[in-house]
Amino acid sequence: QEETFTWKVQSHWPGASSSYEDSLGRLKEQLEERSDGRLELQLFEAGSLFSAKETYNAVSRGILEMGTISPAYASNEMTLAGIASGLPFAFRNVWEAAYFHQVLGFEEMLREEAAEDGVYWATDKVYPTEMVVKEPVDSLEEFKSLKIRSSGALQKFLTEAGAAASYIPGGELYTALDSGIVDGAHWGAAQGAYSMGLYEIAKYHVQPALNIAGTDVIIVSQKAMDELPEDLQKLVKDVLKEQFWFRTNEYLYKERITLAKAIDEMGVEVTTLPPEVQDHLVQTAQSMWDEEGERSDKAAEALAMLKDYLGDLGYL
Amino acid sequence: MRAITAFMNGVTRLNKAIGVAVSFLVFAMFVFILLEVFLRYAFNSPTMWTNELTQLMFGAYAVLSGGYLMAHRGHVNVDLIQSFLGTRMQAAVDVFTSILFFLFTLALLYFSFEMASKSISSWETSYSAWNPPIWPIKACIPIGTALLLLQGIVKLLEDIAIACNLSYYRPEDHSEHDPKGEQL
Amino acid sequence: MSIEVLTLLFFGSLLFFVFLGLPLAFVLGGVSVIFLYFTWGVGSFYMVASQIWSTMGSFTLVAIPLFVFMAMILERTGVAKDLYRAMHLWFGGLRGGLAIGTLFICAIFAAMVGISGAAVVAMGTIALPAMMERGYDRSMCLGVINTGGGWGILIPPSIMMILYALISGVSVGKMFAAGILPGILLMVLTAIYILVRSSLQPHLAPALPPEDRGTMREKLLALRSVALPILIVIMVLGSIMGGITTPTEAAAMGVLGALIAAAVYRKLEFGLLKEASIRTFKLTGMIMWILFAAHAFSAAYQSMGAQPMIEGWMASIPGGPWGVIIAMMLITFVLGMVLDPVGIMLITLPVFLPIVESLGFDPIWFGILFVINMEIGYMTPPFGFNLFYLKGIVPPGITMKDIYKSVIPFVLVEIVGLILLMIFPEIVTYLPNLFF
Ligand code: NA
Ligand code: NA
Repeated sequence: QEETFTWKVQSHWPGASSSYEDSLGRLKEQLEERSDGRLELQLFEAGSLFSAKETYNAVSRGILEMGTISPAYASNEMTLAGIASGLPFAFRNVWEAAYFHQVLGFEEMLREEAAEDGVYWATDKVYPTEMVVKEPVDSLEEFKSLKIRSSGALQKFLTEAGAAASYIPGGELYTALDSGIVDGAHWGAAQGAYSMGLYEIAKYHVQPALNIAGTDVIIVSQKAMDELPEDLQKLVKDVLKEQFWFRTNEYLYKERITLAKAIDEMGVEVTTLPPEVQDHLVQTAQSMWDEEGERSDKAAEALAMLKDYLGDLGYL
Repeated sequence: MRAITAFMNGVTRLNKAIGVAVSFLVFAMFVFILLEVFLRYAFNSPTMWTNELTQLMFGAYAVLSGGYLMAHRGHVNVDLIQSFLGTRMQAAVDVFTSILFFLFTLALLYFSFEMASKSISSWETSYSAWNPPIWPIKACIPIGTALLLLQGIVKLLEDIAIACNLSYYRPEDHSEHDPKGEQL
Repeated sequence: MSIEVLTLLFFGSLLFFVFLGLPLAFVLGGVSVIFLYFTWGVGSFYMVASQIWSTMGSFTLVAIPLFVFMAMILERTGVAKDLYRAMHLWFGGLRGGLAIGTLFICAIFAAMVGISGAAVVAMGTIALPAMMERGYDRSMCLGVINTGGGWGILIPPSIMMILYALISGVSVGKMFAAGILPGILLMVLTAIYILVRSSLQPHLAPALPPEDRGTMREKLLALRSVALPILIVIMVLGSIMGGITTPTEAAAMGVLGALIAAAVYRKLEFGLLKEASIRTFKLTGMIMWILFAAHAFSAAYQSMGAQPMIEGWMASIPGGPWGVIIAMMLITFVLGMVLDPVGIMLITLPVFLPIVESLGFDPIWFGILFVINMEIGYMTPPFGFNLFYLKGIVPPGITMKDIYKSVIPFVLVEIVGLILLMIFPEIVTYLPNLFF
């Protein structure tokens, strides 16, 4: 009779979010099946036990064995969080961000810093964040007159770029967009906007992405990990590694499917920002990147690595 | 005995003074929200700080109210058995049920203190677009809980005095009523 | 220990300590701590502190002190009193007229607030003294305020409907549209109840004697006092609908309106504002400490495995599709008494929604039933939070027993409304199908 382990897992996704099933559901299934039921996950929807911003602390203390977060929620504990949650207008394709994490070693840097808090860090996937707006943006002037619902680093970025970015809680986003308090918003990309009902009232999906980053992360308590036998520890790490590639790919696929559905069912139109706006945004973004590098030596190192990489890709 | 009475009056006075001071935050919350609406609507330039500042003030406002409410019997309860029991019996029952109060407040005090010390040790900020320090608001949780706990101890001492007919506390000493009948 | 046994112990100890007279906030908090200790260990107490921190960070709750402050100013300046005087002159001839007028004001207030709690406290402040002064029976007054105050989550805007829409994937706009007719239905049913009851027992809601009803001139003059409240309603509703403010921010417009009203009444003075702010602090604190503890309680209950338990129950309900729906209603209703709305949704909806859809029911229709059930849960003894909020504002002579007794007929009326919506789902679905 082998010992079985049950882990409490606090998600930062609501149950209705596609990632709840696709990421956590998959993880649960994989771990339970491949451990022959020796490791079980007990899933909790966003906010059930701990709020998103408290999940990192709870995992770090070992109260929760596992959780999902966005790197921004660990900003106070992780100096790399700002770079992990996405510098605006850095990557242009999802594969570039994936390569940066898994091959160039950024994931390893994140894991080292999280280990100081007793947390095992595994990025769930990298994906784009894109805006939806009620009226298309045809000029820089129009961009600067936009009122956009935003949050965190992107709110600061959009503000510096001249738009009027304000934070509105998720529960009031739909009403705010509907009544015209804001003209646009970003909530993930197509799947996020679709799940929040934003396409009902904002018909223009804006590309390119504001950022592309490892915005969803699975964190495991090191204490819980250490209590597992060797083979299960290896299983958890292997499954998490597979999860990144599987989910990154699947997410892109679902983005396209959802966007196609929105175009077909709700008359959504995909618009591209005019070159003058894009140039302006890239310039604003690059002047902001350096601030993130100032948080620690590690952050400076990561930023230097990123800049070299973007240079190699011919973007800088 | 004198010391007990002095302690009870001191705690109650402290809580009442803090409560009155904190209650004025409602004006600030009102002004900042209005300012944000005005700047966004009239000038198309929302700020990054008004709503977050309002939020932080609200957090402090809410959590610091515990002791003040306790001092004014403002935490609502069900008073069904009071009329059967009479004052002395009810006080004895209140002494018994205060176990639950102390479990809650002590657990909260211990863990919120830990939470706040960690926040203070890193001078935690919110990492929002505005990025203000949030450690002072986190520190309000153990402070608010401690104020509530102290007032709870005063209430316990009162109940013991009533139940056992002790002299250090006379309920009629400070019966105060709002002229309109509502206990303020 | 199985979760069923834990549930019984959990709710049993709540009942025990609440009836012994410990304030609700400490019962919820203390019981959570005890059960967390036995099911999850001492370390999990961190969750209690963490839940309080999260609750402090919920922006939508900022509307509570603002709406309460608005009501305090309106009450102390005499605006509310004059409004009731005008209502009394115009509708005083009708038995129960003031109660029906209060229901109407509640419905307007409900259209201004998206959360529960603020409405009960604000309407209680404004309407309770005004009605009791005019000889209305205490039970009648309390019941009316309890019922009308709960509509805030049914009549749009409603944070709960938005949450439901997000969880279920239905359109928010359709949910809002779906809430309108059921809201009106409940209002009409409650008004009918008041009319019937007060014609059978006139002393409950006395008509104004003919000699006091005033001349036409007096009536018209009294209408002046309606102007300011209407101005406030326009400021609040107008700024929500006109895209000027979010529902939360609109609360600040309400305060601005109340301050303007106070200035018109020449009562804009420090003493009055100070008193209003202290009373606001007390009432907001009361609500917030209940919410702090309720959030900790919800989290504790979920950590014990509440959701799998309900999942297990749903698999074994007899009575076919309607048996399942009714069982869901009962569960929501019972949880509505002790958990915060978000907690109830997190526990139940992931289990309920797939079943509802697989049985072929309309999720929008179910959503409206769900919201009404929660609302009834809020006003039902022994734990309904609205009862406690109301207790926070009544004069000392009124006990919890009075409040408990007062709501029973009103709860029954709401249940009748709920049954009508189950028999005639078109009442829910007509407007969303028309608009979208
Ligand atoms: Na760290
Ligand atoms: Na409402």
